[in-house]
Amino acid sequence: MTDLSQHLLGASFQSPVLLASGTCGYGEEYANLIPLDEIGGLVTKAVSLEPRPGNPPHRVAETPGGMINAIGLQNVGLDRFRSEKLPWLRNNLRAARVLINVVGHSAEDYGAVVSGLDSDDGFLGYEINVSCPNVKDGTLFGVDQQALSALVAGLRALTERPLVVKLTPNVPDIGVYARICEEAGADGLSTINTFPGMLIDVEGRRPVLGNVSGGVSGPAILPMGVYLTWRAAAAVSIPVMGIGGIRSGSDALQYILAGASLVQVGTALFVDPSAPVQVQAGIAEYMERHGIARVADLVGALTIPERE
Amino acid sequence: MSAPVRSWGRVLETRQAAGDTFWIEVDCPRIAAQARPGQFVMLGTGLGDVAAPFLPRPFSIGAREADGRLGFLVRVFGAGTRRLSAVNPGDELLILGPLGRSFSLPADRPIVCLAGGVGLAPFLFVGADARLEKRDVRIVYGERTGDRVFDPELIRRITGVEPDLRTEDGSLGRRGLVIDDLDLDDQPQLLACGPDPMLRACADLALRHGLPLQVSVEEHMGCGVGTCQGCVVLSAAGEWIKSCTEGPVFDARELA
Repeated sequence: MTDLSQHLLGASFQSPVLLASGTCGYGEEYANLIPLDEIGGLVTKAVSLEPRPGNPPHRVAETPGGMINAIGLQNVGLDRFRSEKLPWLRNNLRAARVLINVVGHSAEDYGAVVSGLDSDDGFLGYEINVSCPNVKDGTLFGVDQQALSALVAGLRALTERPLVVKLTPNVPDIGVYARICEEAGADGLSTINTFPGMLIDVEGRRPVLGNVSGGVSGPAILPMGVYLTWRAAAAVSIPVMGIGGIRSGSDALQYILAGASLVQVGTALFVDPSAPVQVQAGIAEYMERHGIARVADLVGALTIPERE
Repeated sequence: MSAPVRSWGRVLETRQAAGDTFWIEVDCPRIAAQARPGQFVMLGTGLGDVAAPFLPRPFSIGAREADGRLGFLVRVFGAGTRRLSAVNPGDELLILGPLGRSFSLPADRPIVCLAGGVGLAPFLFVGADARLEKRDVRIVYGERTGDRVFDPELIRRITGVEPDLRTEDGSLGRRGLVIDDLDLDDQPQLLACGPDPMLRACADLALRHGLPLQVSVEEHMGCGVGTCQGCVVLSAAGEWIKSCTEGPVFDARELA
């Protein structure tokens, strides 16, 4: 009998498969299509202190083996999230764990969102987004070591709940940033956010996206995500969530073997809403085939052959 | 609102309806049972490979038959639509739908559909449905050139309506645009679907004649169900609103 559950961030996850921020809204939108309470959990669309209008269209386009997006963190803001979105999550999810993705223009913004949510029920903790490539200051904290350290330490002082930091792939050594987060008090990491990219309409000689550039996701970035997850996990002792191009159990297992304790499925949801369930089934099938009792036994269980 | 369904559908029949345009019928009873004119589906090939279309593409539902068949108008724009247009009977497509808001048709007015290019698709369903209900429906259909015109015989077969055809080069039907020389004396409900400049011209026309207009918009789409916020259009209030769940059909006055 395989046990898909994972115990970390002070909670039990019934499966290592979560839905990635920005791809599952606030849960409700997919309620008819995904058995949300049968997967590990979900990370909400980013919540900012004030509502954000987002970028002009086009906001999404297909790229080879994936997609590019520049939504621009359009969201309803803290107050409406609390009154309109959080109650649904609280009332409808029992077993699935909820992390709230938090974004801000300044450390004060992030702090105000965390403080504003902290006494509410219906979620486990926060995923701190320091890595959105599609807004002017989206990666400000993700690439500045001092600012990142101060941000995480400041948020740590505001909440007892799990704090997970979602890192950008756009740094020379992700291990450095992973350690900074751990030392500043983060409980976990999410690796990785999208890669900055651009698509040009050659007939019109214009950028395809209204924002000019965007973030690339999907199967095309899987090997980069696996590599950066491996690097980050090796640098810290806090748990890591692997993200980037996962559409099968085998993809998820690459991240888990690289050191991820949990994984997030994002772009694949758009291709097939049954993706998270298929990923979960694929992991279970692998475990049965290899006689693995617990997912935890596979985390970081990569063997690298010694070179002659 | 109906609850969308995720379902594999088997391709039953495909036929070339113009040079680069195909009519594809898919067996999908669970979605057909709920579908209303103006709604759309996301049509894709699933997670099995990453060849285009990797992301599913939005298609207006062009026909719904009592036996559970759905019909789609597929025009080749790029690699993704090329692959979808080339499916064969027996192939399976992954379908998510029905999605979005349908047209809302007042009982007391005749219906005039203004269709530009692939904007014809939703009006095939509107036409067939209106005829079933014995309502007065006209389809004014325009293309730039005659070689792009969706087979008029097929339009008649699907809808029972004789299309009022316009081409800009005059090679088929009347030379001109869908907004030219219309008889609007019977105060019809206008419906429009097509390129942005055409929709704006239709909005001007509706305003001039004091007629109600609903438009079906098209925008790049990610999820189709309201989560990704990729498919926004600008509202009259200056906000980005989602064409997938708040549209694709809007009262023209709702949009900028």
